[in-house]
Amino acid sequence: MKCALCGHVFDENKRLEICKGCLGSGCKKIRCPNCGYEILPEPEIGSKIVKFLKRRFKSENK
Amino acid sequence: MGTETIKSWIKRFDRKPSFGEDHLELSSKIEKEKRKSKKLVLVGTPNVGKSLLFNRLTGAYVTVSNYPGTTVTSDSGSCDISGESFDIVDSPGMYSLSSITEEERISKLMLLEEEPDILLHVADAKNLERMLPLTLQLIEANLPVILVLNMMDEAEKVGLRIDHAKLEKELGIPVVPTAATTGRGVAELINKIGSYKPKTGYNIKYNEALESAINKISTLISDEYPISRRSLSLLLLQQDEDIEKLVKDKEDVDYNKIKKIVNETASKFRQPLNYLVKLRLQGEASEFVSSTSKEVEKVDIGFRESLSRVMINPLTGIPILLVILYFGLFWFVGVFGAGDLVGLVEEAFFGELINPWITDFVVNTIPYVPIQEFFVGDYGVWTLGITYAIGIILPIVTTFFLVFSILEDSGYLPRLALLIDRVFKVVGLSGRAVIPMVLALGCGTMATLVTRTLKTRRERTIATLLMALAVPCTAQLGVIFAVLALYPNALWLWALVILFNYIMVGFVASKIMPGDKPVFYMELPPLRVPRPSNVIKKTYTRLIWYIKEVIPLFILISIVLWGLMLAGILDVIIALIAPVINAIGLPVEASQTFILGFFRRDYGAAGLYDIQGALNGVQLLVAAIVVTLFMPCVAQFMIMVKERGMKLALLIAAFILVFAFTIGFVVNLILTSLGVVL
Repeated sequence: MKCALCGHVFDENKRLEICKGCLGSGCKKIRCPNCGYEILPEPEIGSKIVKFLKRRFKSENK
Repeated sequence: MGTETIKSWIKRFDRKPSFGEDHLELSSKIEKEKRKSKKLVLVGTPNVGKSLLFNRLTGAYVTVSNYPGTTVTSDSGSCDISGESFDIVDSPGMYSLSSITEEERISKLMLLEEEPDILLHVADAKNLERMLPLTLQLIEANLPVILVLNMMDEAEKVGLRIDHAKLEKELGIPVVPTAATTGRGVAELINKIGSYKPKTGYNIKYNEALESAINKISTLISDEYPISRRSLSLLLLQQDEDIEKLVKDKEDVDYNKIKKIVNETASKFRQPLNYLVKLRLQGEASEFVSSTSKEVEKVDIGFRESLSRVMINPLTGIPILLVILYFGLFWFVGVFGAGDLVGLVEEAFFGELINPWITDFVVNTIPYVPIQEFFVGDYGVWTLGITYAIGIILPIVTTFFLVFSILEDSGYLPRLALLIDRVFKVVGLSGRAVIPMVLALGCGTMATLVTRTLKTRRERTIATLLMALAVPCTAQLGVIFAVLALYPNALWLWALVILFNYIMVGFVASKIMPGDKPVFYMELPPLRVPRPSNVIKKTYTRLIWYIKEVIPLFILISIVLWGLMLAGILDVIIALIAPVINAIGLPVEASQTFILGFFRRDYGAAGLYDIQGALNGVQLLVAAIVVTLFMPCVAQFMIMVKERGMKLALLIAAFILVFAFTIGFVVNLILTSLGVVL
């Protein structure tokens, strides 16, 4: 993943040192190890809505 | 050797790419594997194509492992080159041997501990001037380095021509131009690795005092190290903690002798020694670039690049920032979001439609007044918690997130960070601190955590103090814009007072806590027109996360306040702070704003929005100033304790508490004494 702020490329699956002290540990937010910028994962409900709309759109076009 | 073992060997060799040899019998491969493999380490700044080159060499068969005692990981693999086996390690990104970030520190330690047979310094050919200081440091350290000029295709596209043969001759080390994305130059690189013979490279001369110090320290060092004594001495002069520890552990010599030389040398210069060393390396790098590379044609930098440069230049960038702040934050978030939208949602929807109905329902259904108060009282879960969260805060953050997503998708944020970095340096603040500062506009609590990315304790402390004091969060900013929109003079005064306090406190703190000013690097992605789908997706994602976080917290705080009210403690607190509130010219009703603000900043802002009708222009200005400067909320304070320690956190909070009310008192005194009506 590439950080939207500093351009640093990093592995989003790695647990970062910076996240260890967070009160909300266990959240799924991704934080750039270089600059600390927060990248939010898309909520599941959002992906489901997008998938549903795509399916509808495709079936209507068939 | 059992059958299973042979199978595992075969499997292993099937996976490992081989260069510079046609066919080897299995038996000879096994023999070779028994011999010690050579070690090849890739180093370089982030985003220069290191990993891609690593994959080209290893065939992407990677083992990811943590560096001992840290969460920083490195990839390792292997390959055969000209009949020799190489273990290849891809180090985390590094800009310099004198480390700033944890990744850089680990990369440096890897160089010291791995003792590589060959070091590939992968550099971005487009930004050679920025890359060469590390090459020079590696040569200075007498490490077996090959310079890889990667992204050569991109450099040529922008009209850059690098005479790599001349550069190779002048540096005294092999230099190979590559384009890892297409594979160009990789074969030549493999040949250079296969035929590598260690050579003595270019030798940099520093000024007389530094050279003398280097010589003195070098004579005190007697043990063997993976890097040259000259490089070791330079790092000691730059007060590199890891090198200090290494030397202290290995040497019999009294380290105070070395420390004395370092201190004496440092006292001869006004600037820190690591700054002087970096300056010298950069100067030398610039000379190499000017003698070995040229722009063959005048490249039309285009509108986007021109705009990018204009955004970074303080003279033009600050007016652009002010335009963005005016239209993006003041007009869209403040006037439209916090004014029109909140008016619609909080006043019309909650105030006139939903809340009267729910209040009637609760009062008619539940006979006990305290329980009624729990839901619909002054501090009720519904009438305070939910109404503030959805009615006031949500419309403000929705508009803010929309603006923020547009800025993020356009690529403006890195330019803003770079612009502020340049402005910060003028008032003596360090560059890297700009990132948590920008993030604090979103939430100061998380931004305080982000101060971990800063190198020195001094930087972390100043950043923590300034964020807790004078960086308002989104909701605060929106409410302040909304309540002061009718009083433009008050809004200007508010901005001036906050900016003045920010600069003054930052400047004084940086003078009280002297220290190095680290160099700030940032990759600049290209500017682009934001894509609506991206903007909507990002805004939606941020909103969902915000709702998840804020609603439970607002409900929890309402319950705490309801409990305090029921126990009569809240009245005692209000009575205690009433004289202070009156002293800054505000009515006692404003106490609630500060009590809510103590729990959460945006909650306090919502409280200010609620009482705005009871205040005149001067009172609104004073309240806005004190709310902005007011002490950090509970969550931010807890993180401050965790990150900076209880003593420092309490000191910062106590300073801010006194400072905020003092500034409010002074502003109120001046304005009322002069009879100013806003």
